[in-house]
Amino acid sequence: MGLFNSAPRVFLAATALRLALLVYGGWQDAHSALKYTDIDYMVFTDAARYVANGKSPYARDTYRYTPLLAWMLVPTAWEGPTPWSTLTFAFGKALFALSDILAGWLIVQLLTRFYRFPMERALRYVATVWLWNPMVANISTRGSSEGLLGVLVTALLWATLTKKPILAGFILGLAVHFKIYPFIYGVSILWWWDAERDGSSSPGSGLLSKALRFLTPSRVKFVAAALVSFVALNTVMYLQYGQSFLQHTFLHHLTRIDHRHNFSPYSSLLYLTAAGGAETHFEALAFIPQIVLVVIALPLILAKKSLTTTMLAQTFAFVTFNKVCTSQYFLWYLVLLPFYLPSSSLIRKPTLGVFAAILWVLGQALWLHQGYNLEFLGLPSFVPGLYFAGLLFFSVNVWILGIIVQDGGEAADETEEMTEKYKAR
Amino acid sequence: MKRRITFVQRIDAGFNPQQVTLTPSSLSVRGLDAAREDRITVELDQLPEQLRAVLEQSSGLHLRWASERPYDALAPFASRVSPGLHVHYTPLKAEDSSEELCTLLRTVVGPDEDAQYKDCTKPEESFISPPPSTRFGSLQYHTHLPTVDNLAKYIQDNVCTKGSTECHTQANALLSADSVDIDYDSISHALTVSGFWANPPQGGWNDEISKPSSAADQIEFGLLGAEPGLEPEEIKMGGLLAVVGEDQKLKPTMFSFPSRHQPLIEPSSYTVSFTPPTGLHPEMSITIPGSSLKRPPAPSDATCGLHTYLTLPSTVFGDQYQLKTTDPLFLESHNLAALNALAGETDLEAPDWVVDHWGSTWLLELATPKSQETGPSNWTATIPLHLRYLPPSESGYRTAHIPWPIVFWACTTEDESEAGPNPFDRTNLGWDGLFSPQTTFYQLQPAGDRLVEDLDVPVLRLSGEGLFKGKSIELGTCAVISLGFLWVLWKLLRVAWVSGVGSNDKIGRGVHDKKD
Repeated sequence: MGLFNSAPRVFLAATALRLALLVYGGWQDAHSALKYTDIDYMVFTDAARYVANGKSPYARDTYRYTPLLAWMLVPTAWEGPTPWSTLTFAFGKALFALSDILAGWLIVQLLTRFYRFPMERALRYVATVWLWNPMVANISTRGSSEGLLGVLVTALLWATLTKKPILAGFILGLAVHFKIYPFIYGVSILWWWDAERDGSSSPGSGLLSKALRFLTPSRVKFVAAALVSFVALNTVMYLQYGQSFLQHTFLHHLTRIDHRHNFSPYSSLLYLTAAGGAETHFEALAFIPQIVLVVIALPLILAKKSLTTTMLAQTFAFVTFNKVCTSQYFLWYLVLLPFYLPSSSLIRKPTLGVFAAILWVLGQALWLHQGYNLEFLGLPSFVPGLYFAGLLFFSVNVWILGIIVQDGGEAADETEEMTEKYKAR
Repeated sequence: MKRRITFVQRIDAGFNPQQVTLTPSSLSVRGLDAAREDRITVELDQLPEQLRAVLEQSSGLHLRWASERPYDALAPFASRVSPGLHVHYTPLKAEDSSEELCTLLRTVVGPDEDAQYKDCTKPEESFISPPPSTRFGSLQYHTHLPTVDNLAKYIQDNVCTKGSTECHTQANALLSADSVDIDYDSISHALTVSGFWANPPQGGWNDEISKPSSAADQIEFGLLGAEPGLEPEEIKMGGLLAVVGEDQKLKPTMFSFPSRHQPLIEPSSYTVSFTPPTGLHPEMSITIPGSSLKRPPAPSDATCGLHTYLTLPSTVFGDQYQLKTTDPLFLESHNLAALNALAGETDLEAPDWVVDHWGSTWLLELATPKSQETGPSNWTATIPLHLRYLPPSESGYRTAHIPWPIVFWACTTEDESEAGPNPFDRTNLGWDGLFSPQTTFYQLQPAGDRLVEDLDVPVLRLSGEGLFKGKSIELGTCAVISLGFLWVLWKLLRVAWVSGVGSNDKIGRGVHDKKD
């Protein structure tokens, strides 16, 4: 396939796609009352305007992000005559789109250098899943900040695989500050980074020496750097914006009261509970399956076999078992798919892969149909419609998660191993 | 106690002198075709304890109730508010608001069968603060209230002295009123209750008004007609006046006064609707016939704008960020000009049960057709709104009662001169304080059978038994998630059983031996 044999071509095409969408978006915004730009981007840019005027970004309702984001987007608040203001307004979107490209470049680097993929094979997966994926390009050019998370997660992976524990720790701290969920990667990276991978010696076999053996220099550096960057960032933000920073960036997620329908299997239950109609409060235990899988079981059993597959499985489990789930969450695991798919049984057994894809899409479609009935037709489709659709979609995701776990269990992530296996084929 | 009864006849209404008879002890009217305003002023010390407690803690308390039935607001009673009960309250001391007011509110609103109102223990819980631009700083409350039954009953039980049939009759009469105002302020130390009836009952007004039993009381009577004054902001009235029990005969009179509320000479109307299906994002349409869009007869140097003032219950809300945009494409597509003021509950996500405030108010300026000629075609402005989540119900629906907004022209002049007194003046309407004192308002007439739109809000369907029990949702969710959790754990345990927790490159070592 000649389509993927040139890296510049793949990246130029990805850039062109985003540029075209940026220009198109600007045109649609200027000519139609129906805007291309995402509502969230209006929140970001409003917050950036507050910041530019020396105010708090939390003066904008529903700004639930780190002030870093508003600071980064300050150029969008620069006023000017028309062509100039259109350009400054698009600054953030361009930044998010650039993050997409950078994330894609990092994935290609990792695949070719650490997984010994030939360039063409690496490009094929990265282009189809990420760089040329119209959904990814659409989300970032409409102004959703998920692209930034993509680049942070791939950078974290890059720093880890190139054995830079301090850098990896700093990136992790930043990523968690940005959007809590990446803390899950900390656990698997920590477990993965054992003495063998660290290259440190292994003295004795007593309990104490085992404990000491666990404390590899890399693990210590990684944790310390992560804590330092996370605490430092939060301290700076807290000193700057006080309680409203804590409330909107972190506490909001613990105390949120908006249970508008979403893909989560807990959606109907939470509506019932919040409205005071539940007898037993199962939802209070919702964190147990999520945390047990994501923080304990998945890293412990899989991380040393395949770090990337573990991270994918963690993200997948986190999103599937979460109390809230919207379509932007799907982007969180999309960025990790190029590492998993090449060796996945979903590709090795095309029937299984196609079947899984069809089930997933069908689950989405069923839910969206019910959601449309509610949102636009005003039908009370909470039960049974959305309730069953949510549980069905959850079941499909759990089944796919099972496949990922199984594949992860059979994976041998060591680069030497990979090369040998690949040569043998 | 002072009472003022004013009948205002339309120009085309018939009248012959026998219809009104004044004797030294009473006045009677027979078959009179007129609108009526009945206003009673009571001193503070004549009021029951509970009510007095509320008022003594108020620097101002103004209730405005308007019926859901459409009515003709003729001069000099041309002002309007949206249907329902509006309360404007200013505590005497900012930190010391009256808990009794909440009790009173419960008495007046609460017993209603499908009463949907935000309860409070202190007014500031459910009352909203006015927009910063307002001239009146009172806390504001509104609720859907189809009738004033409970208010009338409260007056009969608590305010009327025992055995006073007249007081009972007057309270009863409020039931057929089109609007009711109750006003108190700490300067006058008196409570005024006014009822307004736009039309007489079948067969005209028949009433016998006896002279007051106490010399301290006074009853004024007026039978008047209104027409435009010489100045555009004036109203001229003429007719007969009398003080019952004092005057020997009716006195002819003619006077004019400036009025901030003016009628529109040519009939102009609007209708409000929601295009079905409303879903969770209903769009309110205000439709105005092209013929109703003529600039009002204000002085040519006045700046006039067509406005609408929305009084939205907490069940429905506007997105302030969407509506305060200056994007001409958005505004043009909705025929809006600008969002000029907003107050109250504007949270974009909260479900209704966590919202304490009663709702929100929105003053929007509407766009008018660009071309000078206003054709016969309709002009429609639309306002995108959103519904909150409401508690579950058995039917799967709950009703949101949305009162029709009022639509009016506001014409402002630069004239700084103080307007003279107006015996029929009406302020504290919520929207009037958002304009400068030199503004004249011209109301458009709502044209519909009922001035409240009932929206079906889809909610979680919940019944006592069967599939839609709350319990089955709880157990079903719990079961499916547990199964899913166990499935993934099972898969993980199998991996651990076969190849342990180490990496797979150590084949031949450790746990992996079991597989070989």
